Amino acid sequence: MTWRAGLLLGVGALTLPAWPAPFLGVAVLTAAVLLLVLLDRAMAVPPDALTVTRSGERTVRLGATATVTLHLANPTDRTLYAQIRDAWVPSAGARPDVPPDRLLTVPPGGTATLPVRLTPTRRGDRPAVALTVRSLGPMRLGARQRAGTPATPRWTLRVLPRFDSRRHLPEKLARLRVIDGVQVTRGRGHGTEFDTLREYAVGDDVRSIDWRGSARRADVLVRTWRPERDRRLVCVLDTGRTSAVRLGDEPRLDTAIDAALLLTALAARAGDRVDLLAADTEIRARVTGSGRPALLARLVDAVAPLQPALAETDFELIAAEVLRRERQRSLVVLFTALEAGAIGDGLLPVLPRLATRHRVVLAAAGDPVLNRLATATPAGPDDPYAAASALRALAERDRVRAALSRYGVTVVDVPGHRLAPAVADTYLRLKSLGQL
Amino acid sequence: MTATVVPETATTAAATAAPRRRTYRLLVPLGLAVLLIVTTLVLRAVDRPDADEPGFLSPVATDDDGGSRLAEALRTQGVPVRRETDLAAALRTAGAEPSTLFVPAPGLVHPDLLDGLTTLPPGSRLVLVEPSRRVLAELDTAIEPAGGRWAARAVPPDADGTPCPLPEAVRAGTAAVDLQRYAGPAEVDHCYGGALLRAPGRVEVVLAGASDPFRNDRIGEWGNEALATGLLGGGRPLVWLDLPEPVPAPTRPSWSPDPATEEPAPAGSGRSERPDPPDRADPPRENPLWGAFPQWFWALLVQLALAGLLVVLWRARRLGPPVSEPLPVTVRSAETVRGRARLYRRAGARGTVAGTLRAGALERLTTRLNLPPDTPGDEVAARVAERAGADPERVADLLYGPAPEKDRELLELARELDALTRTLAPHPSEGDLR
Repeated sequence: MTWRAGLLLGVGALTLPAWPAPFLGVAVLTAAVLLLVLLDRAMAVPPDALTVTRSGERTVRLGATATVTLHLANPTDRTLYAQIRDAWVPSAGARPDVPPDRLLTVPPGGTATLPVRLTPTRRGDRPAVALTVRSLGPMRLGARQRAGTPATPRWTLRVLPRFDSRRHLPEKLARLRVIDGVQVTRGRGHGTEFDTLREYAVGDDVRSIDWRGSARRADVLVRTWRPERDRRLVCVLDTGRTSAVRLGDEPRLDTAIDAALLLTALAARAGDRVDLLAADTEIRARVTGSGRPALLARLVDAVAPLQPALAETDFELIAAEVLRRERQRSLVVLFTALEAGAIGDGLLPVLPRLATRHRVVLAAAGDPVLNRLATATPAGPDDPYAAASALRALAERDRVRAALSRYGVTVVDVPGHRLAPAVADTYLRLKSLGQL
Repeated sequence: MTATVVPETATTAAATAAPRRRTYRLLVPLGLAVLLIVTTLVLRAVDRPDADEPGFLSPVATDDDGGSRLAEALRTQGVPVRRETDLAAALRTAGAEPSTLFVPAPGLVHPDLLDGLTTLPPGSRLVLVEPSRRVLAELDTAIEPAGGRWAARAVPPDADGTPCPLPEAVRAGTAAVDLQRYAGPAEVDHCYGGALLRAPGRVEVVLAGASDPFRNDRIGEWGNEALATGLLGGGRPLVWLDLPEPVPAPTRPSWSPDPATEEPAPAGSGRSERPDPPDRADPPRENPLWGAFPQWFWALLVQLALAGLLVVLWRARRLGPPVSEPLPVTVRSAETVRGRARLYRRAGARGTVAGTLRAGALERLTTRLNLPPDTPGDEVAARVAERAGADPERVADLLYGPAPEKDRELLELARELDALTRTLAPHPSEGDLR
């Protein structure tokens, strides 16, 4: 029933002084109102007769707004008066265009469209949870409402990472082109591979004349070279406990995802093949870079639902997976943290196996708070202790870095906001040196 | 690098312990407050003399709330004290002479009989102790209770600024009578700020707001005795109505002093409480509130309540359940580093901390000054002092001195090390805003 039933009864109470037997009047009026409510309820459109569908966007970048529309069809021959609540998880930031307390009128056979604007506050999958329809009678006295009818049309909005490091991409691509150009003019060398034979033109380096080819043909032929292509690159995201630490206002995992996306975009443009692996105690995501054009989109889609897990990362598992899948020598970029416990106990034992087969780069987003603690001018009695503790943590980090360097691992250890460009630079340097 | 893993068992234990602790946090202060209030009320009830008790302000009772000392004092003043345990007998004893009738427990007199008190001979005085509103209404006085206090207080007769017209009170001076206060029309004399009233008339009615001036335990304080003997003394003989139990209603109609009291009471006077005599065949009384309003009014109330119930039912049905969502794991930055700093502080590890700070500063200084790591300490100190333009002794003490004893010394050391390294070897990340 609705507030109108209460109001009706309240207004009916004002007629009581005119009744010969007031208490009989109470009984009669109450019974009449309840009867009206039941009648009205019976005349309401049954919710299970409605058909509900959804349409709209499936993915949205974090920070942007998506619109998902709910279509409510009324196939009955009665007019539907209803209140609709379309509930999403709180972090989806749903704002319905028709608020739940507004009464919606749908004529017989008609369809109502209810757009919902979603501005998610977190990365990952944001599902629609519950649809509630309260169908009121024509007098708006009684209402029908039952949990689960009509069934909630399933819809999940995938919120993609923000990919803030996109702004570095043009600059890195420009450097990539420079590397290409340098190697084309320089000719043969590290990081290049044979491209084609073509006729000699004035100005070509005489050292690149292919005498054997020239002997077979009437012309003088020169070999041309191009930068190495179809190198393999594997991004490994550690989603274990160390990735849950917040650097600034986002978890370390988000920083790592950002850097991995920039690296993938760059490598895909350079013609390399990129695989991605995310794991803690089990494999969380796996992308193989076969379909090159849509690679970045597929990668973004795969990393979007990743969340940090409060578990110790199983580097044994990661090493085994990388070794099993990557037969060729490839560049393995490991996004994790330089923490003595996690690296020393987990990674170092399996690193020799990995480092002999592949070139390993360890990209760790450092905590700027740590440097600040270690170098700030002490002000209070707590500060010397904090500084000593931070110095100790930094020293441990240096020890881990030295241990990693012994295995020929390149360590990129920079504050979180500089991780993406630093990793891209490392990749470009290795590429220009032909060390992929 | 600063994540921590909370063991599963610890999490669940904390989860169950937290609500219990929260319950305690709510229950303990509330329970204490309730206990305090109950204790206070019980102590006050025990401590307060009860007018219904036998022996309360009786001239023959010698315990704390008896009146034997007052009776003795009156007799020494030559006032004849006659004790009566029955109202009719007391009225008979008073006879035709003007006398003083002292009623220490007017609540024990049946309301129908209260009018009899005013049938005393003209010029008599009626002294009542802490009479209730009901008693005052039955006596046809225009006096009403006007608030009271938690405990009796000693006040001077002119406590409210107006001079007291009662000579007895003026003579007695300050007395502990200020417990229950009364207010009456202008012709009534007020003393002690309304705690002592005298209503003039054929029979003079005197109200005392507290039993303290008459009681054995407090009659010796202030001017209590003077006030009590002054009120009860004078030239008239004293009849002391010492009622051991509530006086029953009149059994003979002829005895009833005024048939008007037999009329039904006005609504809401609380008369239904009084015990009905067995020989009167009164039907069980209805709540008088029932008849005070027309029947449709009650029906209206019932229907409005039903309407309210409908509104409640409407509001009670929610539009779908609340939505829950698992929240992501968050670990604050540098959590373990800060935790270790707190452990250092709690353990008082000033030696370790000073050593770490010195080692950190030395590493930066030697790198900056291009000294090999195995340079002897005095040479490092000399070179650093030379570069910084400081006293070599002080620099050596700063870099290699003994461990500090107090937190203040440690802070001093950290500050000096910081200043030295900042002068000679600024940190590469200095000036970096993030």
